[in-house]
Amino acid sequence: MKKFLAVIKREYLQRVRTRFFIISTVMGPVVLGLFAVFPVYIANMNFGGATRLAVIDQSGKVYDAFQNALTTEETENSDSENENKAPNPQMQRDASFGRQKFHTELVSLNGRTLEQVKRDLNERVRANELDGYVIIPTDVLADGKPEFYGRSTGDIFTRETLSDSLSRAVREQRLAENKIDQHVLREASRRVTLVSTKISNRGEEKVSSSGFTLVFSFGLLIYVAILLYGQTVLGAVIEEKETRIAEILFSSMRSFPLMMGKLVGVSLVALTQLSIWAIAFTLLAGFGVSMAAARGVPTSIPHVPPMVLVCFLLFFLLGYFIYATVYALIGSMVTTVQEGGQLAIPVVLMLVAGFYFVFPIIRSPNSSLAFWASMFPFLAPITMMVRITTETPPAWQIILSLAIGFTTVVGLVWLTARVYRVGMLMYGKRATIPEVWRWIRQT
Amino acid sequence: MTDETKPTLVLEHVTKQYGDFTAVHDLSLQVRPGRIFGLIGPNGAGKTTTIRMIVNITIPDSGRIELFGQTMETRLQDRIGYLPEERGLYRKMKVGEQLKFFAELKDVRGKEADQRIDNWLQKMGLSDWKARRTKDLSKGMQQKVQFITAVIHNPDLLILDEPFSGLDPVNVELMKETILENKREGKTIILSTHQMEIAEKLCDDVCMINHAKKVLDGQLRKIRHSFSRNAVALQVANADGVLQDKSLVVNVRQNGDDTEVLMAPGVDAQALLKRLVEAGAVVNKFELAEPSLHDIFIEKVREAS
Repeated sequence: MKKFLAVIKREYLQRVRTRFFIISTVMGPVVLGLFAVFPVYIANMNFGGATRLAVIDQSGKVYDAFQNALTTEETENSDSENENKAPNPQMQRDASFGRQKFHTELVSLNGRTLEQVKRDLNERVRANELDGYVIIPTDVLADGKPEFYGRSTGDIFTRETLSDSLSRAVREQRLAENKIDQHVLREASRRVTLVSTKISNRGEEKVSSSGFTLVFSFGLLIYVAILLYGQTVLGAVIEEKETRIAEILFSSMRSFPLMMGKLVGVSLVALTQLSIWAIAFTLLAGFGVSMAAARGVPTSIPHVPPMVLVCFLLFFLLGYFIYATVYALIGSMVTTVQEGGQLAIPVVLMLVAGFYFVFPIIRSPNSSLAFWASMFPFLAPITMMVRITTETPPAWQIILSLAIGFTTVVGLVWLTARVYRVGMLMYGKRATIPEVWRWIRQT
Repeated sequence: MTDETKPTLVLEHVTKQYGDFTAVHDLSLQVRPGRIFGLIGPNGAGKTTTIRMIVNITIPDSGRIELFGQTMETRLQDRIGYLPEERGLYRKMKVGEQLKFFAELKDVRGKEADQRIDNWLQKMGLSDWKARRTKDLSKGMQQKVQFITAVIHNPDLLILDEPFSGLDPVNVELMKETILENKREGKTIILSTHQMEIAEKLCDDVCMINHAKKVLDGQLRKIRHSFSRNAVALQVANADGVLQDKSLVVNVRQNGDDTEVLMAPGVDAQALLKRLVEAGAVVNKFELAEPSLHDIFIEKVREAS
């Protein structure tokens, strides 16, 4: 037992003090944040400045509305503004941040044919005086189709924006022609907001609006942490095999407590890191909320019930021990980290599969797919956690899932211990499946 | 300490197979307390497997291993110090922490462990390296650190597999001296090595294994004697007449400064010396030549193949 503790202590202290641990602890949330924000930011970046657009309005009725629509926000959602009585001006500016800017000019035919004008415009596009032009046909209010000619028609953002703005302009014009007041219409078509209240075992509970983000974060966090620390175990096992330390360790203690010491030691490292992240998040969120409150913006941290945190802990540990044990099994079969990486690919795919289940499960957390996925031990850590955060399943399902999971862990540990004991002393070549099978059967 | 009359280690008909390959076949041997026991044999003979069974890393398929008068079990591992042939240290750990960890694995803890670590580091000339990472040490230094991990818990039985590999001559001497010191303290030492000259100087008993089987076993002195071929090593001048006498000498071979003389059957070394002196030869060296362990080793290996 003392030796077991010595192994845990070494594993823990050596890893917690590494530069990798410190950097990943500090950078983890930053990187995750960047991954969430950066792609959106980049996608919205517009390096070329305003898009220069010529418009030939053959109908003569749409240009003003079109130009207006290109430069202002979509008004269809303005009803939601009415509801949130205190819109944050800062937030609004942020929302329009990255919005593509357009510089439009109206081109009239002035007696020329459309073909002639198009030739001129093509020339200007080639000379880089224009980025593109739009031809609005005479019958656009009926069913005429406007056309867009541009240097890069592959830019879906520009196309989307143009298409949306044209639709709005045409719709407004159609309304005007039919003498329908825009404000009347806006009132009439105001969206109904559904207030969702979750019925749980303890009665009715308000669902926080950030539910999806929360569910998704839990899934992602479990996925990342299992992957990261599973690989750590793989590396640790291979290191001891590669450097022949296992031989000395085995001459001092039995292989089983050694292997378990390793798994437990690394799990404590993982829990340390997750706790630091959780504390940092709570502090930052608290700070953010108080800052926002000071500016008169009511915000709230998504409320996480303690039960969910307990479940998170249990399912993280379940996932960690399932995958880390498999990684240890692989580590004791191979001779180099590279070989280990190759052999571990199916394991990673299994974990990724669990992550992909997040989306259908968020949509229907009580489907039979969700049920079975959350009972299968290799998927349960992610899938059950998602179910718990979306629509908590009956307690018996959670307990059954944990029971199946931890039984699997016991089986895997038993299996791995047998392979580990022999495999750690086999140098030179990767063990074959028949060999491993023989080790397992040996008493 | 163990009872002087009882052997420290007994192997009885020990066999170990890996699949179809027999690593050790029906091996029996005894290691007596307070002696240095040489386990020698060519590569792949089964030395490492034998040692692994002795330290309870692997379990024999059949046969019995008895250590300190008890059947082998995990608890006895703490009384063995093991320096494996394949060195293994955590590359990124600091030397001091590394030794502390290995001490803890042998149930030596706290201040006691710190004290012993400092003593050993000083003895090995590594005190300045205590706070350095192991990977920054030279191969020879790592070897010495590895040795400390084997002796830090003051074991009764010390098993050293190729302890001299990677050491420079100065450190070979240091290592030899340390091994002899352990012997003087009453420790039993099993030494497995290819370096016959060193084994020859250090070992009291040897066991030679080849192709998984024991081919030779016993006190080194007796073994060498039994292999002696009635030869003397000479450094002599003006002795040509005597050495050419076929009734005395069968063969003469120059070996460096020495002249190796194989005497005719029935001829006593004393008779040869007498004849040389009578003939007026100047005798600088006259030594009964026993075959070296190296020669016996080569002979036995050739015999088998």
